[in-house]
Amino acid sequence: MLGEYLERGTAMETLEPILVESAFFKGMKKEYMQLLVGCASNVRFEAGEFILQEGKAANACYLIRHGKVALEVHAPKRGPITIQTLGEGEVLGWSWLVRPYHWHFDARAVEPTRAIALDGECLRRKSEEDCCLGYELLKRFSLIMVERLQAARFQLVNIYDV
Amino acid sequence: MKVDTLAEILHGHPLAQEFGPHHLDMLAESARDVHFDKGWIIFREGDECGTFYLVLSGKVALEIKGPNRSFQIQTLGAGDELGWSSVLMSEGRHFQARALEPVWALAFDGTRLLQTCREDPSFGFALMHRLLGVVSERLQATRLQLMDVYAS
Repeated sequence: MLGEYLERGTAMETLEPILVESAFFKGMKKEYMQLLVGCASNVRFEAGEFILQEGKAANACYLIRHGKVALEVHAPKRGPITIQTLGEGEVLGWSWLVRPYHWHFDARAVEPTRAIALDGECLRRKSEEDCCLGYELLKRFSLIMVERLQAARFQLVNIYDV
Repeated sequence: MKVDTLAEILHGHPLAQEFGPHHLDMLAESARDVHFDKGWIIFREGDECGTFYLVLSGKVALEIKGPNRSFQIQTLGAGDELGWSSVLMSEGRHFQARALEPVWALAFDGTRLLQTCREDPSFGFALMHRLLGVVSERLQATRLQLMDVYAS
């Protein structure tokens, strides 16, 4: 599915400055960015298209450049429920970092969405080869996950606290 | 308790699957064992996040204060990590932890361990990887709870 949306040929030259300027990679050493850009490619999704699906192999993360993405879970009686919406500059997907490396939810583009996909296997390999890079990368993913955990917990408290 | 005994505890813990022996020794060096009586507050919302815990026995409730009342978001038991996520944030604890039973835990000096992470990125990588696993499980559990609420 991913393959059709890759814009090969433009990736290597143009993606590095975009990654460097993103809030997520702020402060990352230039030499690491040069390694990471090798894992990056441009992807596009139409409105309504699934970016990732629950239960499928998790093999990438996405830095959203434009558009809007809904994270959805499936409730038995209600169908899909949006648990969070992500937009420009935000990062989607970390299950490629955590065993058993499959997605725990669906993510769907609610608008036409452009993103940079970072290949999970490529990131894992580079992290294992250079643990300084791995540490810098994991630290960043840990922070956004902690923020989302806090947000989800407050969401739960607000529902009950009425 | 002596440091070597703490190291033994750590070497027998599931954490040993992710941390090599050398890294477990580094963890043990900044650990002390602590006890909390039933009902004791281990940390409060807003407290500084310098310490994180590994629960060895007993039960701990994580509680968040809503505008109207406190809400128990999770209970943790033997083998569980406690307070790890807050160590990365610099804005104080987001929830309270209370001992539901007498609790025995290892307390780690998080500030010192984050310093160790910077000095030894291979240790940092292992610690962050474990943290990711913990936060991922908790996030998944919280989202399932949210889903139950919405579906009911």
